[in-house]
Amino acid sequence: MNKQHKVLIANRGEIAVRIIQACIKLGLDFVCVHTAEDACSGHVALARELGGERSLYRISSYHDANELLSVADHAGATAVHPGYGFFAEDFRFARRVTERERPLIFLGPSWRVIRDLGDKINTKRLARSLGVPTVPGSDRPIYDELEAEKIARSLFDFQMQQGIARPLVLVKASAGGGGMGIEEVYDIDMFRQVYRRIRNYAMRQFKDEGVLIEQRIKDFNHLEVHVLSDRTGRHPVHFGTRNCSIQSTGRQKRLEVAPGFDPSSIKYDFDAAALLDEIVMHSLNMARKVGYDSVGTWEWIVTRDGHPFLMEVNTRIQVENGVSAAISRVKGKEVDLIAEQIRTGLGEPLGYTQDDITFHGVGVEYRIIAEDPDNGFAPWVGDIDRFSWDEREWCRVHTHVPPASPEKPYTIPTEFDPNLALAIIWGKDLAEVSAHGLAFLDTLRLEGHDGKGEPLKSNVEFLKKKTERMLRF
Amino acid sequence: MMEWEKQLHQLSDRLCYLKDIFPGKHEEDIALLETRLGETRRKLESCTAEEAQAEMTSLEDLFFFMECKLEDKLTPMDKVRIVRHPHRICLRDILENVYDNYTEIGGQGEHTNDPAMVIARAYITRKRHGKVYHQPVLVMGHEKGHGEEFRNGGSAKPWGNAKAKHYMGVAETEGIPIHAYVFTPGGYPLEDYPGAAQQIARNIYEMAGLTVPLIAVFSEGGSGGAEAISLADKRLMFSHGYYSVISPEGAAAIEGHLRGGARASADLVERCAKDLHLTAEDNLKFGYIDKIIQEPVLGARPYHYEFFRTIRQEVIRATDEVVLAARGLAPLRAATLRRFRDRELNLDEFSVRWDLSRKARQRLVEMRQNKFIKASHRECQNRRSVMGRLGDAWSEQWWEIYNRLIYDFYHRNRRTFSNLLEEIGSEWEMLKLRAMKPWNKLRHGKVEEPAGNTEELTTLSEWEEDNHSGWAWVSPKAKEDRAVSCPYSAQRGCMDMWAPDLYNEFAGVCSSCGHHFPMEYQWVMNNCFDENSLYEFNTEVEAGNPLNFPGFDEKIAAAKKKTGLKSGCITFEARLDGVQVVVAILVGSFRGGSVGVAEGSKFVAAADRARRKRYPFIVYCHGTAGIRIQEGTHGVIQMPRCTVAVRRYIESGGLYLVLYDTKSYGGPVASFLGCAFYQFAIRSSDIGFAGPGVIKNTTGLDIPPDHHNCYKALSRGHIQGVWDRRDVRANLRQALETMGGRNLYYR
Repeated sequence: MNKQHKVLIANRGEIAVRIIQACIKLGLDFVCVHTAEDACSGHVALARELGGERSLYRISSYHDANELLSVADHAGATAVHPGYGFFAEDFRFARRVTERERPLIFLGPSWRVIRDLGDKINTKRLARSLGVPTVPGSDRPIYDELEAEKIARSLFDFQMQQGIARPLVLVKASAGGGGMGIEEVYDIDMFRQVYRRIRNYAMRQFKDEGVLIEQRIKDFNHLEVHVLSDRTGRHPVHFGTRNCSIQSTGRQKRLEVAPGFDPSSIKYDFDAAALLDEIVMHSLNMARKVGYDSVGTWEWIVTRDGHPFLMEVNTRIQVENGVSAAISRVKGKEVDLIAEQIRTGLGEPLGYTQDDITFHGVGVEYRIIAEDPDNGFAPWVGDIDRFSWDEREWCRVHTHVPPASPEKPYTIPTEFDPNLALAIIWGKDLAEVSAHGLAFLDTLRLEGHDGKGEPLKSNVEFLKKKTERMLRF
Repeated sequence: MMEWEKQLHQLSDRLCYLKDIFPGKHEEDIALLETRLGETRRKLESCTAEEAQAEMTSLEDLFFFMECKLEDKLTPMDKVRIVRHPHRICLRDILENVYDNYTEIGGQGEHTNDPAMVIARAYITRKRHGKVYHQPVLVMGHEKGHGEEFRNGGSAKPWGNAKAKHYMGVAETEGIPIHAYVFTPGGYPLEDYPGAAQQIARNIYEMAGLTVPLIAVFSEGGSGGAEAISLADKRLMFSHGYYSVISPEGAAAIEGHLRGGARASADLVERCAKDLHLTAEDNLKFGYIDKIIQEPVLGARPYHYEFFRTIRQEVIRATDEVVLAARGLAPLRAATLRRFRDRELNLDEFSVRWDLSRKARQRLVEMRQNKFIKASHRECQNRRSVMGRLGDAWSEQWWEIYNRLIYDFYHRNRRTFSNLLEEIGSEWEMLKLRAMKPWNKLRHGKVEEPAGNTEELTTLSEWEEDNHSGWAWVSPKAKEDRAVSCPYSAQRGCMDMWAPDLYNEFAGVCSSCGHHFPMEYQWVMNNCFDENSLYEFNTEVEAGNPLNFPGFDEKIAAAKKKTGLKSGCITFEARLDGVQVVVAILVGSFRGGSVGVAEGSKFVAAADRARRKRYPFIVYCHGTAGIRIQEGTHGVIQMPRCTVAVRRYIESGGLYLVLYDTKSYGGPVASFLGCAFYQFAIRSSDIGFAGPGVIKNTTGLDIPPDHHNCYKALSRGHIQGVWDRRDVRANLRQALETMGGRNLYYR
């Protein structure tokens, strides 16, 4: 690999820390950005330590592409790593980066892939064309009221046939996203009213009346398949499955386990091993079909009776990449998926096949967050006085929170998401990893106070409680 | 001495007048008069009555001699100064002296909504065989009021013009002719409801179909303000008046590239006045006025009683001629009028009734419309070959016949027939149902409609996706690698955008606040109609320099080179989801989208084509700065001319829709664009009568920066809606379905 490359890290916090570390591991130069609020963040300290002042640029916003690209030009960067969030799945940013007069390498999929897989209708149709199971319902925007009602009616019938007691149908604006313009219908007689409301909303909001009608699936597990491919896009490999079903009330992940199910210790109503193989196969088929050329995650939902449905594709590195890495070995060696993303992104061939990847044990990732799970997961704001844990060989903690003490507390910035740290625990089986996890959480010291002198609130107790429920329906 | 005071005072007034209209010129002559006046004044104190008499006569002769001498040296700018002088006759002098009786009805003095516009009912008394006839007439016009400040120098406000339009309607109802006297330097540039431009457009549209004789008399014809009451059957003009597209000062400011109220030099103004060809002789030569009324030496003032008699004869003659031509049933009188020149015939003793039958009214309107459609026809540079023109004429005829046949005859009858078939069919269905009833009962129950099967819900469906993957035409600005800031980023916090995103995919729309950046005219032209459906016509018409305005040949050539167009108006036929339409585009990048003879002619031809073919007529005003000033009245005449074409089109039952983009000001908005029933604007466009600089200069008012914004125009009631650029196609399609008259071919 050409070591002359210099990577602009267009992100902050924990992921910026890990990208810096991956760059160092690969022997690459890097340049970091931070805003005024983030001046005390760990990623800034680490960049200063490993790259010196010249590797640091203060910017006014992580959302400003112009600023990021001027930093890239000024620092002579040749590649941009978007991390997750911000520009990670913005195909326009990826396109701009690669098509500007001074082009840079976008460390992520090519912009066409991001655009195509970012479009939910396109993804669903691609999946269906390959025989990949998707949520029952329409796979194209419906503009006609009669047609819409016909689909809704057959969706109700379909669910009745399946023995679902309370069938539900979702009506959503086909151009929408992020939970906007979605409504549930539990009675076919209500359908027209809801349909019209959503259609009008879609017209106002997105200038397109198209509506999607789908079954609303309840009672499912959220599974993921982690995929990696080099720039040829021909030979994608996977790094196993993950189960991300334990989430906050706002559908934010709090605890992830790899692999996705554990048939060795838990009994399921279906053949869990076969199901995992099935979703892995479908995911790789789709990746091959689109020429997927970076890391990515295929998101699935699996119902209690073992039906998988493809939800969407995340065309970026994910927060929980570490938990997949924890159970994977390439040719017997540990793997760093971020480093792999950078390495292949810069054009180097993958250098191994699926056969070289082996899986061992069970991994768990805890997202440690200052929040109040009893109060709707409301974020807690204040200063951290103490944050430490016991170093163990089965535990790895990624954080951007610098060492804190009552004399030198760390103030949590309110501008960004409240993640404090990711703890990745490994065990040879589910029982061991649970024990390790509980041991880690028990010995974790996380203290602080807010403006009123109230003590810090965190989700540690929530995580402990959920550790027992891992991989179960 | 006392007995001469009044005469002396009058001579001194005349001297002042000379000084005013010849500032810095003919100083020796004026000084001579001044000295002689002083000498006479001194002499009169001591001399005898006979001597005084002789002295005064000789002085008056000298004054007259000098005035005649100066009259021969009058320049166009001198005439402009004459017209503007407070001593010049004004409308009230005319009402007092030309008509036999009058009542002001549009208000009294300053107690009116707009003192610059005076309306009066008057009558002219004519005698015939000892019998007296009062012929009523509606007089309207601008009142300069000898410098009364509240009259704004005769600049009518929108409501002043609205008043004029209202009383035109009154005259129409009562069937009496209108005499309109134009004494205006231009419309008062106010955007209050409904906007100066919009109101002028409404007036012009009204006059284009007004069914009573309309005689206009020009003294000061300042562009749009003048057009608001002057689309007349006969246009007379005072010999010292002017009729122009813009004031010489305004033209000089533009020619000299002056900004921020800087004053042009007297020299440049003088030159511009000459180049604009704004005198009565010029306009008579061009054919935009029909007759010149000769004024006394150095212009008419209120004591020129003989001149008022001349006016009276001329307006009576003009009205008679119009009425007789429309009526077509008085050959002897018409011939008499033709044969006997002025003064040979006392029209006061010549009787023509001024009311018209319904047929005659129609003919009157038709004649007026033809007169304006043909105006400036000669100036149009059309490079089409003779054979080509013959072909065009033939195809026009063919379309006329074809449409008559297809739409007036075939379709009407076909509809009747198909309605009948449908009725019979429904009856048959009912009969069948009744007859089959016993049989249906035998079969057990209804066959249940099969529910949509599972297959449909889980496998790929058929979908012909319309290719959203981009615009057919992309601006060259999208090739630059640069960031573009939204002008509202400070207020609305918009992020900068990358030019290739902004000008391609976003269609020039700020992705966070929706501000529309200006785009090229090609964007709408190529992205809003069916692909490969454009057929351009009248491509051989070229913008020229009909006034031989100095230096303008080069400028026009440069504009042609820059844009690759021959004029600022593109006319083409296109399809919109299969529906044929005629489109005219005013190109904002061709001399600012200004309208001259070529543009007007293409517009008229396009409207005519749309009328013949019964297509909708869509005008996309990519931008217009107004009438092309370098073409003078050749440009101004396009306002009534194109409006007449539009009115003809609309009344034939079509759909005339105007879509504004970027900046649209001036004459076109105040006439053929502004008169449309369906006017829309693309977001972030500006629409108005005069630009901010002109408003500041003429009214002294400061206006807020978004004064002309399309949303303001929408609130003011000027336009009917604001469209997102990306929705233009869909909205046009919607408009085709929901708007317009009965005679569209696809209805």
